[in-house]
Amino acid sequence: MKVFIYPTNSLVLSDLVERFGHEPLAIMQEIGKKVRTQSLDSPPINITPEDPKLGLKYAAVEVPSGVRGRMSLFDPLISNADAAIVVHDPAPSFGCMGCARTNELVNFLIRAKKIPLLELDYPSSEDDAKEFVYKISRFLKSLTEGKK
Amino acid sequence: MDTLTKMVVINSEKVLPSDIVIKLYQSKADVMIKETCFGVIVSGERSVVNTLLDEIRKMDPYGIFIKERGLAPGEQYRCRATRRGGARPGFHSIETENKMLPLIAAALKALDKGEIPKQKQRKKKLDVERFKEIIKQTEVS
Amino acid sequence: MTSSENPVRIAELSCGLEYSGIQKEIESATKQVNAVMVYPEVDISDIDNIEEEFGLKVASPDLKLMMARAKAIVTGKVHVDAVFVATCFRCAEAAIVRSEVRRYIHEHTGIPVISYSFTERTTAGTLLTRMEALTTTARRKSLLARDKQSGLTAGIDSGSTTTKAVVMKDNKIIGKGWVPTIKVLESAEEAYENALKEAGVDRKDIQALGTTGYGRFLLGEHFKADLIQEEITVNSKGAVYLADKQKGTATVLDIGGMDNKAISVMDGIPGMFTMGGICAGASGRFLEMTAKRLGVSITELGALAVKGNAQNVKMNSYCIVFGIQSLVNSLATGSKPEDVAAAACHSVAEQLFEQQLQEIDVKEPVIMVGGTSLIEGLPKAVEELLKVKVIVPENAQYIGAVGAALLASGFISR
Repeated sequence: MKVFIYPTNSLVLSDLVERFGHEPLAIMQEIGKKVRTQSLDSPPINITPEDPKLGLKYAAVEVPSGVRGRMSLFDPLISNADAAIVVHDPAPSFGCMGCARTNELVNFLIRAKKIPLLELDYPSSEDDAKEFVYKISRFLKSLTEGKK
Repeated sequence: MDTLTKMVVINSEKVLPSDIVIKLYQSKADVMIKETCFGVIVSGERSVVNTLLDEIRKMDPYGIFIKERGLAPGEQYRCRATRRGGARPGFHSIETENKMLPLIAAALKALDKGEIPKQKQRKKKLDVERFKEIIKQTEVS
Repeated sequence: MTSSENPVRIAELSCGLEYSGIQKEIESATKQVNAVMVYPEVDISDIDNIEEEFGLKVASPDLKLMMARAKAIVTGKVHVDAVFVATCFRCAEAAIVRSEVRRYIHEHTGIPVISYSFTERTTAGTLLTRMEALTTTARRKSLLARDKQSGLTAGIDSGSTTTKAVVMKDNKIIGKGWVPTIKVLESAEEAYENALKEAGVDRKDIQALGTTGYGRFLLGEHFKADLIQEEITVNSKGAVYLADKQKGTATVLDIGGMDNKAISVMDGIPGMFTMGGICAGASGRFLEMTAKRLGVSITELGALAVKGNAQNVKMNSYCIVFGIQSLVNSLATGSKPEDVAAAACHSVAEQLFEQQLQEIDVKEPVIMVGGTSLIEGLPKAVEELLKVKVIVPENAQYIGAVGAALLASGFISR
């Protein structure tokens, strides 16, 4: 199944989802599509002034352009998600994940989709990490079993 | 060609980035390889990259972590060497997550051993009445 | 702006630029002024600790990164000549950080800083004048230190509405020309000729010439000017010179025909500044239209406004169309022309206050310059809003031309 992850650029989440046999929906793949298409018209990541307009699908024009531009990147991830893993209070990550307002909106849209959702706290100790990985493995397994 | 770039982050006592690079070269696959501070970046045809990295992961399943990367290795607009100064924003994200990898490795080992971790209770806010009592007691003393 | 000079290193402290799709526009504007954007190096520990050190807690990680990069500049970890602080328009969290970061760098380093809030519609053209001013301040500190005019020099200011020229000799204005801008070159020729005539000197005797304003490049080429300079730098210099406030802080306000400038100045050098150009309702054009509706000339509007009370006229909009309509309606319902004139001045002052003065530190003395400063009602309205005394120096309408003539005297071969 296609599993949306939050933070959407997380190495750990991306790795775990793939490790347990699912397809992570991560922002890197959207950046990859952007930079690999034709020529790089708008360096560094080929987001052009058209992208914030595409973001109007999620937020009105009064919402800052940086939020709307990011939303246009997140759009395919949100649309294609069959399930989601969301980590609360993650360590800060930057760039695509650098705007708190965008992150709030993405979280809301994922919850509003009513798809299988696992919400977790960011681990801070070895015990936390064990619980974190265990819950993720169980959740991902349940998705496979549910499909059967 | 359906290109894919993946980042192999190494947090291993057994495997060095150079070991991975040698193994990748030995495969003679048509991929671009770049060693970085955190491990190795591999770029090439999607299926080739995925198959190769499945093998690489087996070198140390608890010490090798993999994620996709949007930009190709050494991309000039983002690379610190050509961008005049600071790292691309994603670098700091990897820097942060890298610190967490030993915890995740330990957790993966425990999972494979069949350990079931204790569920931690989430902290609740202190009851207001109890808080009032504590304040009163503190005032007296 | 010669290519032999090293490029000016401008630190880019931003949030949302790349995602608004305009990073390319920034790069293009900096390239045109022979500058490069640099990105101060920080470690993750710098970012982790910055909120505590800076004292500002924010939710957006990219804003933490911005503060950490600002600190890298202030502590000298990275060397830059200027700083560009930019965040998304309409983001409140970013506006707070942008403002504090700009102030922090300005106060601790004296490195010139500009602050800008962008949308996806921001273009290299919009940024060019700002980048030009920023790089000039960084590059030509010695030129800007000049506080007296010497020799026989001239300055021409080609504005969107009017073209002004002055001839100066030994620190005195000896000739002035002022004509409406119709064709850039012809109007400049006429204004310059008038100034020369009044001064009683020959064009060939002028030792150095400076041009500024919208038409500066065209005029610079035509007149073979020694100095071609944007109006932020020139007007700052001109304002403190004319008001005799060359040392210390000052705030320069210029409501132009097409856009407004608010500049925070230290020892005659612009530190922070904003330029507006989105709304005609906040420009001199609004006052021109009001004067036309009232059947008075623009030179009479100010005196009329001083006699009136803006509170007696209800305005529903700042817009040049709907605002003027409000004024016309109130005339029809019996409002006095002087109250209408005062209301128009208030409307323009309020927009300046709401849109631009929030972006800079308003430090006294506040000097108003440009043609609109002579519309007495306008400085009065600004005084009422800011609760400070506003200075309008003599010859304030020639500000750009005077600044250009003053700075040009630095080019007389020694």
